[in-house]
Amino acid sequence: MSPQFVDFNGDGNLDIVAGIFDGSPHVALGDGKTWSQPKSILDKNGARIVLNAFWNFDSKAWDSTDRCDPTGGRPMKGGQPAKGHLTSAIAMDWDRDGDFDLVLGDHRSGYVYLRRNAGSNQKPQFEARNELVMAGDQPMHDPGTVATLRAVDWNRDGLLDLMVSGMGDPYGTKTGGGVAVYLNTGTADDKIAKFGQAISLIAPSKKGAMNNPSRPDSGLHPEAVDFDGDGDLDLLVGGYSMWTPAAKDLTTEQKTEVKKLKADLAEVAAAQKKTMDAIYKATEGLGQDERAAKLKKQFEGVSSEINKLNKTRRELSQRIQKLEPRAQRVSFTWLYENLAKTASGDTTGQR
Amino acid sequence: MQTQLPHLATLALTCATLTSFAFAQGTQFADPVQVSAGDKLLGKGRMYPSPAMHDINGDGRLDVFIGDLRGHITYALRQADGTFSSEMKLKDAKGKVLDFGNW
Repeated sequence: MSPQFVDFNGDGNLDIVAGIFDGSPHVALGDGKTWSQPKSILDKNGARIVLNAFWNFDSKAWDSTDRCDPTGGRPMKGGQPAKGHLTSAIAMDWDRDGDFDLVLGDHRSGYVYLRRNAGSNQKPQFEARNELVMAGDQPMHDPGTVATLRAVDWNRDGLLDLMVSGMGDPYGTKTGGGVAVYLNTGTADDKIAKFGQAISLIAPSKKGAMNNPSRPDSGLHPEAVDFDGDGDLDLLVGGYSMWTPAAKDLTTEQKTEVKKLKADLAEVAAAQKKTMDAIYKATEGLGQDERAAKLKKQFEGVSSEINKLNKTRRELSQRIQKLEPRAQRVSFTWLYENLAKTASGDTTGQR
Repeated sequence: MQTQLPHLATLALTCATLTSFAFAQGTQFADPVQVSAGDKLLGKGRMYPSPAMHDINGDGRLDVFIGDLRGHITYALRQADGTFSSEMKLKDAKGKVLDFGNW
C-alpha cells in the first residue's frame, strides 16, 4: 500500500488514501492531528471499488467479480478483459471538475484504470465501472505490472503527470521493476488529463548485484520529493533489493562444519515432516468442524516440540548462511538524488 | 497574419511539450543510497515498503512515512540536521495502530 496524503473529503485536513491488498482503496480521515481507522471507499451504489479480484469479507476468502470489468468494456488482446487486482490507488482530479477521482493500479496485468467521481469531495459518487487509462492511443501499461502510482507535476508545467512504478519479477532472475513518468500532454483548458508515452526515470532492474545491495530491484514504490532542498524532485524509493554476497574461502574445518550442519538440518526437516504428517493423519476422515477442533488439539499437544524444532532449524540455517551466503532479498528505502536540476515540480495537495 | 496565429500557438505548444519531454527525458540521478532512520535502515525488512513525505509535526520539515503490504504505516521525524528519527508506528486518536490491512 502506498499512502497518499490528500484532503480527500475537502474538510481542510489531510487524509490518507491507499489502495491495499484486499483489492480496494481505503481512506483514513484526518482531523488535523491524527487519523481515524481506515474505511473502504465505496461507489455510488455502496459497493467496494475493485477491479476483479478482491477479499470477500463475507466468505472470508479471495473472490472475483465481473461487476467491475477492469477494461471498462474495452476488449483486450484476444477479446478477453484482463483480470485485475488493485493494490494501489491515488486520488486525483482527473476531469478538473473540482473533486477527486480515483486512479487505480493493477499489480496483475500492469494496466491503470480510472474511477470517476460524479459527486463532490464532500459527497462522492464514484461510478460503478472502471475506465482504462490511455497513454496516447495505447493503454497505459507497465510490463512489470503496477506496484504503485503517484500524481506529480514532474516537468513543472502546471499539469499533474502520472508516475507509475513496476513490481517486476519479485523473486527470480527475470527483469525487475522500474519507475516511469507519463507526462500530461494536455493544456490547462483541457477538461480531461491526457498522457504521452512512458519516460523511464529508473530503468527496470536487470538484477545480478554482487556482494552488496545496489538498488531496489523489485516492487518499487517511489515518492517524488525535493529531498535535499536543492529545488528539484528527487525520488525516494522503497523496494526489494536482490544480491549475491561474496563467497567465502572456507577452511577445511569450516567445510566439514558446513557438511555436518547440512546433515543436521536435513535431520531436523525430516523430524518436522514426521510430526506434521502424524498430526494430519490423526484427523483424516473427520468432518470440517471436527477436523479443525482436532487439529487445534493436536497442535497444542506438540507445540513445544514444534517450537524446539523450528528454533534448531533457524539456528542451523543462520550458521550455514554465515559460512555459505546465499542470494539475498531484503527490502530497503533508497534515495535517488536528482542531479539534472531540470525537474522541480509541485506535489502539493496531490501526491 | 490572423491565419498564422493558430500556427504560432501550435508551435509554442509543441515547443513547450518538447521542452517538457526533454526535461523529463534528461533527468539524471546519482547512484541510489539507502536511507536511515535512527540507527536502522528505513523500511528495512518491511513487506513492500512504500515511502511518502508529510510534515506531521508542523516544524516545516517533511517527515517520512512508510506504508507496507500488511497495511501498517510507520513514520520518522526529519531532524534539523536532515537525518531521521527512529521509526514509530502511526496510531489513531485512541492510541491504536492505524491498520489498513483488513483481510
